[in-house]
Amino acid sequence: MKAPRLFQLTALALVLVSAVEVGWWLLDQHRFAVDKVREMHEVYAQQVGAAQALLDAGIPGERVHALMPGIMVTGQQAALSPDVDRGLIAEERRHIAQYAWEGSFFIIALAVCIAVIARALRAEARVIQEQESFLALVSHQFKTPLASLQLSLETMAMRPLSPEHSSALIERMLSDLGRMEGMVTQILESMRLDRGRIDLKSEPVDLGDAVARVIASFEERAAKDRIRVGAEIGHGLEVMADPLALDVILRNVLENALAAVAPIGGGSVSFTGRRIAGEIELTVRDSGVGFRPGDGTRLFQKFSRLHPGGGGSHFGTGLGLYIVRRLMQLAGGRVSAQSAGVGQGAAFVLTWPAGAAHEAPSSDPTVRSEPPVTGPAARREHS
Amino acid sequence: MTASAEYARRILVVEDDPHLTAGVVENLRAEGYEVDSVADGRRALEWLDGTPCGLVLLDVMLPEVDGFTVCRTLRERGDNTPVLFLTARGDPADRVRGLEAGGDDYLAKPFHLRELLLRVKAILRRWDWYQSASAAEGGTLRFGGNEVDFRAFRARSWNGVAQELTEKEAMILKVLAERPGEIVSREDLLERVWGYDVFPSTRTVDNFILRLRKRFERDPANPRHFLTVWGVGYRFMSEGEC
Repeated sequence: MKAPRLFQLTALALVLVSAVEVGWWLLDQHRFAVDKVREMHEVYAQQVGAAQALLDAGIPGERVHALMPGIMVTGQQAALSPDVDRGLIAEERRHIAQYAWEGSFFIIALAVCIAVIARALRAEARVIQEQESFLALVSHQFKTPLASLQLSLETMAMRPLSPEHSSALIERMLSDLGRMEGMVTQILESMRLDRGRIDLKSEPVDLGDAVARVIASFEERAAKDRIRVGAEIGHGLEVMADPLALDVILRNVLENALAAVAPIGGGSVSFTGRRIAGEIELTVRDSGVGFRPGDGTRLFQKFSRLHPGGGGSHFGTGLGLYIVRRLMQLAGGRVSAQSAGVGQGAAFVLTWPAGAAHEAPSSDPTVRSEPPVTGPAARREHS
Repeated sequence: MTASAEYARRILVVEDDPHLTAGVVENLRAEGYEVDSVADGRRALEWLDGTPCGLVLLDVMLPEVDGFTVCRTLRERGDNTPVLFLTARGDPADRVRGLEAGGDDYLAKPFHLRELLLRVKAILRRWDWYQSASAAEGGTLRFGGNEVDFRAFRARSWNGVAQELTEKEAMILKVLAERPGEIVSREDLLERVWGYDVFPSTRTVDNFILRLRKRFERDPANPRHFLTVWGVGYRFMSEGEC
């Protein structure tokens, strides 16, 4: 067990023991107060008896009262003064009330301490578990491209191959290396997002221009997979976003859409932008493999890779759409995904606050201390 | 289902990574095997429902239906086609889970090509031995009132109860029945039935022998057919030992 955790557990144990001690102290004090008052009553009862004996012996009542001021003499009868009796009862109640208030305070303070320590312990355990499962998932994600790479290399070493076959294997190996590089980039990006180490600008960015740039960079790949990519975004439609983060978001979403369409032998991806009540909405619709309607939320979870019946290439890290969601949240926007079902295509809807052309900027741009990592975009998690 | 010569060299690769699938398929074809591939568990079950084959190379983390479930489903429907798990999940717990699901062998990614080819060859050789030996000897073993049909993986025990044998139970029985009265070591049984390094210990053999005793011995606590030779292995007595 690590030293800090041992210290925390020891502290928790001490606080628990203290709470028990306080409880016991309270009980003891209450019993002490009750006993004390009972003893006083007994003493006074003895005095009443003594006073009655003096009265019976012919001592005048005034004299007896003077000797024992707590005793009231009525005729030849001695009794405890009602004032004294009330005083004893009031004293008992005062002590009990005092212990109740003080004890409650200590108990509550200790309970708060216990809750804080227990919560810290739980949080730490959760972080450790998340780290372990993250490492396990990451290493698992790397093993498949590594296995493919090793297999290609050993095939080249073991078998005489034609130049065409060798070229195909080299292309496959380069692709596997690209997959691993993309995974590293996305893992670093997601870790930085998780740690909140990215401060994003918030400035008006022309959405049509940003989409056009991203589409152009994927033109070759889309053509190779027989996928038509089109955009219909009004001129001057501006969103409040960080330009680099917006580029990462659009790349991830487009790459995801392309990966969903490629396995079915081609199709289309379309970007449609419009302004709705102070917000800009971008819909990215594809004719790809789609996903089960209930899986729309899971797509954006870390390492979520849904597998509809489409089969095809599963080169994703399970981080691309998670990064999209986190960057959209940081930009004050949101993202959602819909599909009518497996084989029915999908639509990803991204919404940002409108830019200067529509509304005044909500705040001054902040200075970005560390730009987001850019690199190979995410693959489609639901394919 | 039983394999015969015409499909004994047919292999199905179930893997959702296209590059890895391509690499495995190319190499198996280069070795002379007839190879098909599917990318998810549901298609694998559909494919295997109508097409006999000699071996399934099965990934664990598959779309639709995972590899363990595919293997378990195969065994439940009486399909004893050998299964070699090929997966990134290579820790001992996953290996045991795969073998408990009815798998024959387990290879963790990334793997060496030569090792993959050797394991494929070894599984097919064991399977071929089992099939040919069963066919040559009429495929039926009778001992102590029990009757075992090796080709159908079925048996009828001394009390008339019908038994469905797993592939491993049948193979262990086959190895022992080939050498009646002789001592067969645990290591020998492991080598003949599983291969060289699949299980972490020879305790697995002991567990299978216990299962066979429960099926075929009148008093499993005092066995007459599956006898333990302490510190060595087992001896099979077809007539029973008094």
